Amino acid sequence: MAVAQDHASPEGRSSSPFWTIARRDSLAGFLFIAPQLVGIIVFVLIPLGLVFWYSLHEWNVLANTFTYTGAQNYQMLIEDSNLLEVLGATAVFSAGLVVFNLSLALLLAILLNQRLAGITIFRTLFFSPVVVSLVAWTIVWGFLLQKNGGINGMLQVLGIEGPNWLREETTAMISVIVVQVFKNVGLNMILFLAALQGVPNELYEAARVDGAPRFKQFRRITLPLISPTILLTSIITIVGSLQVFAQIAVLTQGGPGLSTTVLVYYLYQQAFQFHFFGYGSTLSILLFLIVAVLTFAQWQMRKRIVFYES
Amino acid sequence: MKAELSPRLKTFLYGLMCVLLIPFVFPTWWMATSSVKPISDIFAFPPQLIPESYDWTTYSKVFELQPFVQQYWNSAYIAAVVTIGTMAVSSMAGYAFARIRFPFANTIFMIVLLGLLIPSEVTIVPLFRMFLKAGMVNTHWPLILVPIFGAPSVFATFVMRQFFVTLPAELEEAARVDGLGRFKIFRMIALPLAKPALASVAIFTFLHSWNLFLEPIVFLSSAEKFTLPQALTQYTDAYGGPMWNIQLAAATLTALPVLIVFIIAQKQFVEGLAHTGLKG
Amino acid sequence: MAEVTLSDVRKSYGAVDIIHGVDLGINDGEFVVLVGPSGCGKSTLLRMIAGLETISGGEVKIGGRVVNDLDPKDRDIAMVFQNYALYPHMTVATNMGFSLEHRGGGKAEIAERVKWAADILGLAPLLDRYPRQLSGGQRQRVAMGRAIVRNPQVFLFDEPLSNLDAKLRVVMRGEIKSLHQKLRTTTVYVTHDQVEAMTMADKIVVLNGGRVEQIGAPLDLYDRPANQFVAGFIGSPAMNFLTGMITAEGFAAPGILLPLPESAHKFRARKAIYGIRPEHFVLDSSGVPAEIVLVEPMGSETQVTMKLGETQITGVFRERVSLSPGATIRVRPDINTAHLFAADDGQRLN
Repeated sequence: MAVAQDHASPEGRSSSPFWTIARRDSLAGFLFIAPQLVGIIVFVLIPLGLVFWYSLHEWNVLANTFTYTGAQNYQMLIEDSNLLEVLGATAVFSAGLVVFNLSLALLLAILLNQRLAGITIFRTLFFSPVVVSLVAWTIVWGFLLQKNGGINGMLQVLGIEGPNWLREETTAMISVIVVQVFKNVGLNMILFLAALQGVPNELYEAARVDGAPRFKQFRRITLPLISPTILLTSIITIVGSLQVFAQIAVLTQGGPGLSTTVLVYYLYQQAFQFHFFGYGSTLSILLFLIVAVLTFAQWQMRKRIVFYES
Repeated sequence: MKAELSPRLKTFLYGLMCVLLIPFVFPTWWMATSSVKPISDIFAFPPQLIPESYDWTTYSKVFELQPFVQQYWNSAYIAAVVTIGTMAVSSMAGYAFARIRFPFANTIFMIVLLGLLIPSEVTIVPLFRMFLKAGMVNTHWPLILVPIFGAPSVFATFVMRQFFVTLPAELEEAARVDGLGRFKIFRMIALPLAKPALASVAIFTFLHSWNLFLEPIVFLSSAEKFTLPQALTQYTDAYGGPMWNIQLAAATLTALPVLIVFIIAQKQFVEGLAHTGLKG
Repeated sequence: MAEVTLSDVRKSYGAVDIIHGVDLGINDGEFVVLVGPSGCGKSTLLRMIAGLETISGGEVKIGGRVVNDLDPKDRDIAMVFQNYALYPHMTVATNMGFSLEHRGGGKAEIAERVKWAADILGLAPLLDRYPRQLSGGQRQRVAMGRAIVRNPQVFLFDEPLSNLDAKLRVVMRGEIKSLHQKLRTTTVYVTHDQVEAMTMADKIVVLNGGRVEQIGAPLDLYDRPANQFVAGFIGSPAMNFLTGMITAEGFAAPGILLPLPESAHKFRARKAIYGIRPEHFVLDSSGVPAEIVLVEPMGSETQVTMKLGETQITGVFRERVSLSPGATIRVRPDINTAHLFAADDGQRLN
């Protein structure tokens, strides 16, 4: 370190060292972000570029051939008679999941926000499925949802003949949604709970002084003030719903028929079960576009529905 | 303070919560109890909420049919390495984005945030080919490298950045006057104060790695390399049907340790994750 | 210990100039206060001396050495921050010894220095506590302890008392001053509070809009402010200003004629500003009439808002004025303490 540079230059200034404070800081900054930046380039950006490249090719793993096929995979995408059904299943799954998840999460958060003794125990229990291994959770639900499983057993005790949940199209879809919601709703629940606790109490007191009834307080004060959290959780949940794979693979394998074959599962089947890697890449691009459009749309919505931002 | 609730309303709320709890708590109970029932009892009617007789041999079958200890170790060490690695990568990057002025910082931050937009499912095919060419298929490298450096760590970086932004600048200035350089400020001042944020990063990173399913079944092909989620689905009979009691026993062994840690440290879990959500 | 010299120091963020060439000499052992309204650049200037802000132009010397490109740690300065900046995860002792640890001090030596500083500041019983367990005044003392422990050439204080309540502020003011008298270390102290500046400084630097308005001893600034800004900034309640014309008969402000000192006659027929401090009025039946607007008794003195002609002014009287608003009293400005400023640029005339 150049300390005590007293031999001043003619103007009375010592000459500046090359490694000024700002330069050293810049170097430190680059070093600090280097692992993350390189990682993103190698494991995200380059693969993303490759997905486009692969979608123009057919790759045969066994023969180890990689041939250019032009827009053939895209042609296939348009002509794929399964695709519409897959996209329909994806839409139903995501929409059902988001609606059910967010409304249940909000309901639970409101309940947990009440001043009741032992509320922490309830919070812990509602949250517990989040930390249960995903596949373990799915397996036990699969077990419960068997034709002669626990759920139908209970229903039978009540004199109700239950359906074969995972083998009928409608109930299979409902089942995968429900299993996923109960697994992860705890996360959104605590986000909502934190948001509810962040609403200043004076606002409710002011509303009570103004004579606003409870449901009106909720609609006019609570909802607007937690709207940023609602938006945030809906983005996380929607994007997350498009990535749901294990539950489908374990519970229904996409069936019956294609009724629960969501896009990720279809992509996996095409690429890794049928080894259509080129077509799998094309489906990846479709998935990427859907995620990007949804995220963008929701950020745009922020301007309109979010009343308040912290 | 909030208005006091009437006793009737209180009873109603407790009742409602107890009913709502059933689908959250019952499956775990059912999993644990069914795993110790004799095979003849697990589909018995009426359902046995408490086992009437016990059969512990299922648990020894879990270890006989697959190298379950090895698989357990695989999952545990991969999750540990991924968690520590992600904490290191994301705390450094998050710190730099929040605290250090360097050229193109904002542009680079936007590029990194793109990772949030690109779930690893989208890039699974090229990742598979990359790792195949690198001779890393059927090794644990893809399950370690991609989460630490790729898309999954971006959220962690974002959480860390949001935390460091709130750290008072004066503390770092005091440290500079006290004679610390950037790295020492990070290590001795910023990082020790970031413990709450690091804890939440650790929790969600661990759970993410612990639950990984698509990647293992894409990249791993031999039983001694499997991770737990994948191993659980392998307890099937000759016709491919699940051997329920064994699956449930293995599932119980998988779920229980994390569940116990959670119950001991539930405050840190819940508040840690709520914290990331608020900021994220 | 050392002298600090600033020559033509400038700071700009992009095209925006924050500091417009400041020249300032601080003698060895001097207590200098930088004072001014918020946004005047006083903190920026201090941080440039500390090395926490880069210097866009000019030169900062500490102890004869140009420090423009040196890291804070190489400038041999210590700083006390507005929010104390104590490391929350370290005990008081560790906080105080932290800088010595990074300058390669031995364990025994550090402990000795920390004990020395703790004894001076009365912190000895608190050494094992954490900052969160301390009161505001104690934190303030630890922050000072951390600064003195190193025996630096210069102390820098950045509005250190602004987070304390009024009573504690007075106590700490005294402590900082007596600490300086004990250690005689060159000190640069930033505040927006002119009372702090008056009571603590050997030399005050009044800054406004990134420029030095006046440098001088506290009472010199009070008695002979160089311009209207300094006149209005130093002193509480603030100086009264009346706009008008200097005439042969006196100072003609709207609706009133005020007496002028002899010396003022050379500025005859000039538009000017007449400045008079509230404490420089006396109740005198031969004085000018003033209509009372508001009476605020403080006990020791009485503050009276009144109309002198058409201008509303403040007067402070040792006497108890028991009059109600609307009444008229007669007051006489002490002409020897009247200040005259040019109407155009606010510079002092007399």
